Amino acid sequence: MSKNVSAVKDFTKGLWEQNAVFKQVLGMCPTLAVTVSAINGIAMALATTFVLVFSSMIISLIRKLIPTQVRIASYILIIATFVTIVDLVMKALFPELSKALGPYIPLIVVNCLILGRQEAFSSKNGVFRSVLDALGMGAGFLLALFMLGGVREILGSRTLLGFQVLPNLYEPWLVMILPAGAFLTLGLLMAYFNNREINKKTKQREAILQKHLSSKQSPAVEGGEA
Amino acid sequence: MELFLIFLSAAIVNNFVLAYFLGICPFIGVSSKLSSAVSMGMATTFVMTITSIVTWLIYHMILIPFNLEFLQYVSFILVIASLVQFVEMFIKKVSQPLYRALGIFLPLITTNCAILGLALFIILREYTFIEGIFYGLGAGAGFTLAISIMAGIREELDLADVPKPFQGAAITLIVAGILALAFMGFSGMISV
Amino acid sequence: MNTIVKMLITLTIVGVISGGLLSQISNWAEPKIEMNRKLETERAIFLVQPEAKSYLKIEEADFELYQVFKDENKSESIGYALPFEGNGFQGKIRLMVGVNVDLQQLVGLEVLEQVETPGLGTKVTEKPFTNQFIGLTANPIVNWTKAEANKDKSEIQTITGATISSKAIVVIINDGLSKLRSTVENGEAK
Repeated sequence: MSKNVSAVKDFTKGLWEQNAVFKQVLGMCPTLAVTVSAINGIAMALATTFVLVFSSMIISLIRKLIPTQVRIASYILIIATFVTIVDLVMKALFPELSKALGPYIPLIVVNCLILGRQEAFSSKNGVFRSVLDALGMGAGFLLALFMLGGVREILGSRTLLGFQVLPNLYEPWLVMILPAGAFLTLGLLMAYFNNREINKKTKQREAILQKHLSSKQSPAVEGGEA
Repeated sequence: MELFLIFLSAAIVNNFVLAYFLGICPFIGVSSKLSSAVSMGMATTFVMTITSIVTWLIYHMILIPFNLEFLQYVSFILVIASLVQFVEMFIKKVSQPLYRALGIFLPLITTNCAILGLALFIILREYTFIEGIFYGLGAGAGFTLAISIMAGIREELDLADVPKPFQGAAITLIVAGILALAFMGFSGMISV
Repeated sequence: MNTIVKMLITLTIVGVISGGLLSQISNWAEPKIEMNRKLETERAIFLVQPEAKSYLKIEEADFELYQVFKDENKSESIGYALPFEGNGFQGKIRLMVGVNVDLQQLVGLEVLEQVETPGLGTKVTEKPFTNQFIGLTANPIVNWTKAEANKDKSEIQTITGATISSKAIVVIINDGLSKLRSTVENGEAK
């Protein structure tokens, strides 16, 4: 039972609790660069997830065979191999998308998110858990990129996934499609989530305090609790 | 003249950090103190210049003649990783003070996307060998400039009363956004 | 010593496997990528030469150049399609220009690649701007004006807020035209 719980945990922690972009501030280059539109964000996240899952799988399989001194070099080699595969396949099957993402596909190699997961998780855990962890991290990355791309696309070109969602009356904010817009949007989104977290914590603290106070008012309960 | 324009274009107009989003990790991670930011910038510039030389040679002398272009990413990243290692050993031997200043930043450079990005851009834009070197120098200078400005601002920010939700990465990103807007003013100045 | 050998062996094995795998995949993908590239060029050629039915790459020219024909069996030439690139406001602009057979009149213009400012410079890729070049006589070159364009003076009107991008397009076209004319006159392409 507890094994199942921890397996679920391996997956879900990447979604939000340890979200690569919002919480760990990893993988910033692709996050900021390609999120001009939601579809680009999705494509980038899927490509990254593919590389992440397969390199996690291979690395956790052979983790005991690799001498520690060449650990990082071997990881990078494996990651670069999968990135090249993604790049070639995308160029062959989805030329438009591959053009839109341009040089940021090869740059998945140096996405700190991927190397970070190998170092922190796959090199220490079995295949099953590593793949789950990679899937979770990838899903969290997808969520973040979709959010960022969505906001920028709606405000910057009135559309979401190519469909017009804001009326023509609304004058698109060009800044959203420019590099500056990427920084500003991500900064504001982060601040928003921080704010929610802070509010939640304050509320929790207040609730605990309340409980504490009310229990003090009735001293007949047990002593030595605090 | 052409070379100087390539240098300026990479350093200012198409700044790696603020226009291409390359090297954001150290830009946010190592920009809290001006002195360490400058050191990081120097170390990166150094590695960038050497990278542009070595990867150009590998691509044009080995990969193209043997039709191995598909090994581009694998070979570039390996070269960069070993280069960084080598530079670290070299600096350690030659100059202890320099090593103390740059040492801790060097391993970080391997996963700095700006380096691999630089190598890829040089191939993509079909620069010649000399142009590539100047492009590398310019990109390094641009990175140093961006990260130093950022660190300067952040040192001031420490004294400011930043609202709680914005503290940390959020305010850094917003400052970066404003910097990117300011750098847009340079666009069109040179077209290379 | 032992560790060094082990390190080398590991890295070699990983490298060999990775290289083998990649060469397989690259063999599979390469023809498809080539095909995509060809289709893209083809699409652009027929966009700038709407009356053309077939085309031929002119190998003698020292730049990329296509001759287009009115019919399938390449007997009657109706002009040229010329991919040409130059500097825009922020980076390279790549165009496909359609020119008629006497090298005076432009038939069509398509912007293939550009990195201009979104919302301003990117307007040069849109129909209101590119349509100005259709049927324009470049005698001897294309000129630009900020006011209403006079077609008799080979003029096009630049876009407000994107003057530099508009001018860049004109300059690229003129460069391309002069190269095309000298090549054709030297008889390298007929």
